[in-house]
Amino acid sequence: MTDSVRLAVQHLTHRFGHSEVLTDVNLEVRDGEFLTFLGPSGCGKTTTLRAIAGFLTPTEGKVVLDGEDITGLPAHRRPVNMVFQQSTLFPHLDVGRNVAFGLRVAKVAKAEIATRVAEALSLVRLEGFERRRPTELSGGQRQRVNLARALVNRPRVLLLDEPLSALDLKIRLEMEAELRRVHRELGATFIYVTHDQREALALSDRIAVFNAGRVIQLDTAEAIYREPRSQFAASFVGDANVFAIDVWGSDADGVITADGLRLPLATPGPVSGPHWLVVRPEDVRFGRPGGALEATVTDAAFRGSALTYRAECAALNSTIKAEVPDELGTVPVGSLVSVTWNPQRARLLPRSD
Amino acid sequence: MVALVFLFAPLAIVVLFAFHETNSLTPPFEGFSTRWFSEVVSDRAVRSGLMTSLRVASLTAVATFVSGTAAAYGVSRTESRLKSVYAGLFLLPIALPALILGIAMLSFFSSRGIALSTTTVVIAHTVFVAPVFFVIARTALDRVEVAQLEAAADLGAPPWYRFRRVILPQVLPVLLAGAAMAFVISFDEFIVTFFVIGSESTLPLVIFSRLRRTIDPSVNAISSLLLFANLAVWLAAVLYAVRLQRRRRRDSLAQKETRT
Repeated sequence: MTDSVRLAVQHLTHRFGHSEVLTDVNLEVRDGEFLTFLGPSGCGKTTTLRAIAGFLTPTEGKVVLDGEDITGLPAHRRPVNMVFQQSTLFPHLDVGRNVAFGLRVAKVAKAEIATRVAEALSLVRLEGFERRRPTELSGGQRQRVNLARALVNRPRVLLLDEPLSALDLKIRLEMEAELRRVHRELGATFIYVTHDQREALALSDRIAVFNAGRVIQLDTAEAIYREPRSQFAASFVGDANVFAIDVWGSDADGVITADGLRLPLATPGPVSGPHWLVVRPEDVRFGRPGGALEATVTDAAFRGSALTYRAECAALNSTIKAEVPDELGTVPVGSLVSVTWNPQRARLLPRSD
Repeated sequence: MVALVFLFAPLAIVVLFAFHETNSLTPPFEGFSTRWFSEVVSDRAVRSGLMTSLRVASLTAVATFVSGTAAAYGVSRTESRLKSVYAGLFLLPIALPALILGIAMLSFFSSRGIALSTTTVVIAHTVFVAPVFFVIARTALDRVEVAQLEAAADLGAPPWYRFRRVILPQVLPVLLAGAAMAFVISFDEFIVTFFVIGSESTLPLVIFSRLRRTIDPSVNAISSLLLFANLAVWLAAVLYAVRLQRRRRRDSLAQKETRT
């Protein structure tokens, strides 16, 4: 991956009739990057992808590929390729002819087509599948062929529109690993759309979090997880406890709420007013009752390496989720515990309501 | 049972008397002969009528195929709000009785000063069968997923290439069946033809004029030949459909097996 910009989306706004589905979307995709558009359905991530592919002309704004404005180009003249959510293999063609489709359109020489098709199929580990019919393939194999059919054209950007969402969990995990490998081997630029935060975290170099037609944060997965810039990003990327609090004042150990609660937080600076306090479950620890914050454990579940708890906290008027390493021992459901968390990792975000 | 008798008895009698030795068309059956067939085959009026009918039916099939496919494709791809209005307009002629269509066509041609000929017959027949073809073609075209066309565009295919290489191969069997149907309808169409034909005669017109003069088993012979020809076409179509169905079932079975 280099720092040069491969594709830029500038001030993209799109309206269907009276509803605005995209509002001033700006983002840059670096050469060789795996960038994921993450957001709930209807957030504008797929619309943005389709504007990049050329399936829709945005109401306002530009799509710039390698410094060239391609906003006005129809889909068939853009050097980008897409893998769709559902397989779009042509049922009347065998696997080899499906993969060769783009090359034949581009009038590439026959011998070269054969070599490149074989290469592409071997890249997705389907060597020798040329003569198979799409109907003879499993769902996972079909998406591999779709991937090969797109990659064989050496697109400047590969677009992937929730390509794994129609697959079973087991195949999905397998395909994730395959996608990472293919991305690594080719060094190509990928834009991946998903509503699955786990998938986004597993695959991406960077994530663009979409909400209500806007990009609300674009950063590495870790940065979004550690430094979410909004309550939405905090709760959508990874699991999070998000407490609505009214800050009265602060000191070196944390903040003091209007209710007189003292909540641990590193160097909050002078703050006051309504805020969100974001604490990741793995940073929460339980202790003997008698601390500043008490809660009653209502649920405990064994997850292999860790135990996850839910505890009701009357003072915060909220359920607290905690993920505690197995070796710290178990806390029985129903016990009263004091709640603490790592003050270095808790985050305070402004709240407007 | 009674219905079956009504259905098939007249056909059986027609075929039976085509092989009658004498020129009587009523029982008793007096002897077996194929003389009427050889007479029909060597009859110049019948032969020229047959040739005219074949030509008209072929041209009608081609004209219907081209115009009907274009219309159905246009309607199935448009995103206009008038989509259903267009579809309705293309379908409307289905409700038109042949008699009215024949008269309308005739007055249209004569008002434009267009001489009646087999060309005007082809035009009239195309108008007559196009709506039926349109329905068939639209059903087939609508089954091709939009996502597939987007994928083709994404792979660099311009609009004509998408139609030629993605849509057409998938719908061609259905379109050809539609064209075959247009051929059959045009081949034995009588009423519309009667109004708009010039000096030539199609086979149905030859049979009709012959019936008005004399009645002999040669008419039965022609009818029998047409019947068998039709049966052959039918049989071919049915066999083709069965084969298609089998392949489809095999494909979906294979699909189920490879899943998981």
